[in-house]
Amino acid sequence: MKKFLSPILAALIALLAIFTTGCMGKTDDMNNDTQTIYYLNFKPEIAEAWEEIAKVYKDQKGVELKIVTAASGTYEQTLKSEMAKTEAPTIFQINGPKGFVNWKDYCKDLKDSELYKILSDKSLAVTSNGGVYGIPYVVEGYGIIYNSQIMDKYFSLDGKKVSINSTEEINSFDTLKAVVEDMTRLKGELGIEGVFGATSLQTGEDWRWHTHLANIPLYYEFTDKNIDLAGDDTKKIDLKYAENFKNVFDLYINNSTTDKKLLGSKSVADSMAEFALGKCAMIQNGNWAWSQINKVSGNTVKQENIKFLPIYTGTSSDATQGLCIGTENFLCINKNVDETKQKLSEDFLYWLFSSSDGKKFVTEKLDFIAPFDTFEEDEVPGDPLAKEVIRWMKKDNVTTIPWNFTVFPSQNFKESFGSALLSYAQGKHDFETLKNNVISAWEKESK
Amino acid sequence: MEKLSFKNILTIIFLALLSLVFIAPVIIVVINSFKGQFFIADSPFTFPNSGTFSGFENYINGIEKTDFFGAFFYSLVITIGAVGLIVLCTSMTAWYLARVKGKLSSLIYYLFVFSMIVPFQMVMFTLSKIANTLRFDNPLGLILIYLGFGAGLSVFIFTGFARAIPLEIEEAATVDGCGPVRMFFYIIFPILRPTAVTVAILNAMWIWNDYLLPYLIIGSDYKTIPIAVQYLQGGYGSRDMGALMAMLVLSIIPIIIFYLLCQKYIIKGVVAGAVKG
Amino acid sequence: MHSSLKKHFFIFLLPTLIAFTVFFIVPFVLGVYLSFTEFTTVSNAQFVGFQNYIDAFTGDSTFLNALWFTVKFAVVSIITVNLFAFLLALALSKGLKGTNLFRAVFFMPNLIGGIVLGYIWQVIINGILLPYGVDLTFNANYGFWGLVVLTNWQMIGYMMIIYIAGINNISPQLIEAAKIDGATPFQILRKITLPLTMPSFTICTFLTLTNSFKLFDQNLALTAGAPGRETSMLALDIYNTFYGRIGYEGVGQAKGVVFFLLVAVLALLQVYLTRSKEVEA
Repeated sequence: MKKFLSPILAALIALLAIFTTGCMGKTDDMNNDTQTIYYLNFKPEIAEAWEEIAKVYKDQKGVELKIVTAASGTYEQTLKSEMAKTEAPTIFQINGPKGFVNWKDYCKDLKDSELYKILSDKSLAVTSNGGVYGIPYVVEGYGIIYNSQIMDKYFSLDGKKVSINSTEEINSFDTLKAVVEDMTRLKGELGIEGVFGATSLQTGEDWRWHTHLANIPLYYEFTDKNIDLAGDDTKKIDLKYAENFKNVFDLYINNSTTDKKLLGSKSVADSMAEFALGKCAMIQNGNWAWSQINKVSGNTVKQENIKFLPIYTGTSSDATQGLCIGTENFLCINKNVDETKQKLSEDFLYWLFSSSDGKKFVTEKLDFIAPFDTFEEDEVPGDPLAKEVIRWMKKDNVTTIPWNFTVFPSQNFKESFGSALLSYAQGKHDFETLKNNVISAWEKESK
Repeated sequence: MEKLSFKNILTIIFLALLSLVFIAPVIIVVINSFKGQFFIADSPFTFPNSGTFSGFENYINGIEKTDFFGAFFYSLVITIGAVGLIVLCTSMTAWYLARVKGKLSSLIYYLFVFSMIVPFQMVMFTLSKIANTLRFDNPLGLILIYLGFGAGLSVFIFTGFARAIPLEIEEAATVDGCGPVRMFFYIIFPILRPTAVTVAILNAMWIWNDYLLPYLIIGSDYKTIPIAVQYLQGGYGSRDMGALMAMLVLSIIPIIIFYLLCQKYIIKGVVAGAVKG
Repeated sequence: MHSSLKKHFFIFLLPTLIAFTVFFIVPFVLGVYLSFTEFTTVSNAQFVGFQNYIDAFTGDSTFLNALWFTVKFAVVSIITVNLFAFLLALALSKGLKGTNLFRAVFFMPNLIGGIVLGYIWQVIINGILLPYGVDLTFNANYGFWGLVVLTNWQMIGYMMIIYIAGINNISPQLIEAAKIDGATPFQILRKITLPLTMPSFTICTFLTLTNSFKLFDQNLALTAGAPGRETSMLALDIYNTFYGRIGYEGVGQAKGVVFFLLVAVLALLQVYLTRSKEVEA
């Protein structure tokens, strides 16, 4: 009989063991009386840096900082399921006014917070009826990243057909196109597989196009129509500058390392790796891409050869156009968690962006260009792309394009835009259909 | 065994080829797990060569990124705990339902049966909400959730077999002054032991591989193996195909070992489960 | 005796019943209730009648698309899985050399979890399509057949085991007798083996039917719905509605109820239909 009892006993003992260890873990927390705050991180590429910060912060202040990172393209999804929990995030982020509408029941008014006081440009914050609900924590810029070594090699080739002699001279779409197409012709000599890295169109990996690239034509449309971005006039678009989007998008997919029909399974990481390994000369992305380029093993691109070029689309403003600089990352404090936690969360953020230890993390590990006046002129990230963004910001006679995609109606809109782009790239429908799809999806999602 | 006619040899050759087809996907993944991450999508069906071979780099990367051993530990604790608890609790319940007749008893039985056809998405949100509110959002709590959500099939299978136990045995034991608890552990459970193996196998296969339930309930704090594998897709800012291949291999290895050890029971379990199910 | 067992219900019945009530009955009932409301957390639910059900079918085409995709998928998989599994079972119940080994190999994929399976096949299918210059996301048909192949690979072994058990239950004397009467192998198959393995068919079709309808992990890992939402099956569509869109919780829950009703009706109908065949046999 004992033989039969033993499995049950074993199971019971195992259970008991789990019980006790489980409970002990819990009571430990309580005895030490540590407070836990919880940040739901949006940027997977710097998840490790956040973990490090959490460790240091715990050592210094005794406050446990829990970091959870949402997989790329799933932030809203994760935020939603996490917010439904008892231990909800105490710090989270919204992507601008549209995000605020979704999460307004959770956003605490930060008008009187220390963090808001140090924000250098108060107009950047997400505000509503005099309250301040989201504070930008990073200024970022994107454009076309290029490898100047490959570009220089091209300009020194005898067989080149263009008349200009350096990448700096490119200041319109037509020149860009001429250079790119000529480079594609000479790609054997240049030792590259394509001028542009893969136009990643996998679901969740397609934001560089449906969000970032689309920002430019829509910026011009909104400016032309004099639209108040905070008002209801953004509920309808007519894609006046659709041709300009097509110009660049076609240039990307026709001069790429990857065949158009294979783009649906390419990720951002794939194309960043191509750039890092010198398989392509250009790629559209922002300064956050540095950490990704840097991490690729076998990286052949030298730091000093990584440069930015504005995304010229063929509008009359090409010559004076700069990079797209702005933010879609606004920190919010969850007002539904208990007040001590709200306070601790605010304290943490203030520490991060004002103390010398915190600032060091921000510029060296997170590689943020932080929009706070606690940061001195020289307290900026040392990476080449951030330096480039700052260089472009300071240029005279150049108009920086703001990030207007914060008014894009919803994640669902972006996803349907993304899959329409994929179908277009795969040749399943023409650009006119794509354009109409986008216009109608925008209207539908703006309701 | 029949003699080897020409037709039979042909069948055997065909089956052998088919077996290769069945194993091939696993082999392909194993091969690719030794290639550098950028060589996988471009040529998945070639052996690594000196240019593409990356040794154990993918494994090291993958284990570091996903904390694979942590995930393995959670998967193991949750599976063993939940299976143990399910076998113990539902066999007792089943015997009770088989022996105590009455309207309430059959109502409960039919509720269990009913639960078998309810898809998880139907209770996805409410279940995770309740689990969280009651603070069951930890591995231990998850074990109890599995008992509740998985009870249906197990009670159903156990009840079928418990009903078949001859009443005389129990009556004889009662005459000897044996109480229900003693009787269950000394007489009934030993008789139900083959069924217990079936129930354990069926539940273990389900719980070990389950993704959505643990993801929704404990996913942000504790990653089981399926959650860790899925998180490789975009959870670290980049999709590392090499690490993915290596993690696929590592998650298959324990299954293969378990299968080799318990093949006989697994196949018997499946048959027995199906006959009653 | 049974009265004393009844008194011990707190040991025998209660633990399971509490867990079952808290983690199944309550979520189920609450789920049905919430499908008629608009809510973000449970406490702020507002009654909206059948609006969520209307939105589920008319709001956008994803649900109907997923429904149609799932039905097509289920039909194809039920037929292919059961056909192949039965043929293999026939081959493996002849007592040929290596039977045990083959059986073990064919069953093996069943133990691998859906997420892992999905990624394995993603690599393979993309590899096969590579020479043609396309990938899984190119056409919803690729995703469809990818899922069918994957499901076959996973489920054939399981169903085969059940069929083997069914075939082995047929008394050898019966087949001997038929042979003596001069029946051809095909006649034996049609008149004896098939009718007598009907119970196995009932079980196997039931299992393939419910598994195909509930498929989630494999779908998520293999295509995640790409291109667009075209290869989303019902379970994935409900998940996306629920967690992917703010303000659609009620619609997601309503879809969940519809999904449940569908699975329940199909399962009952299937059991009823095949059971009636068994009686005839």
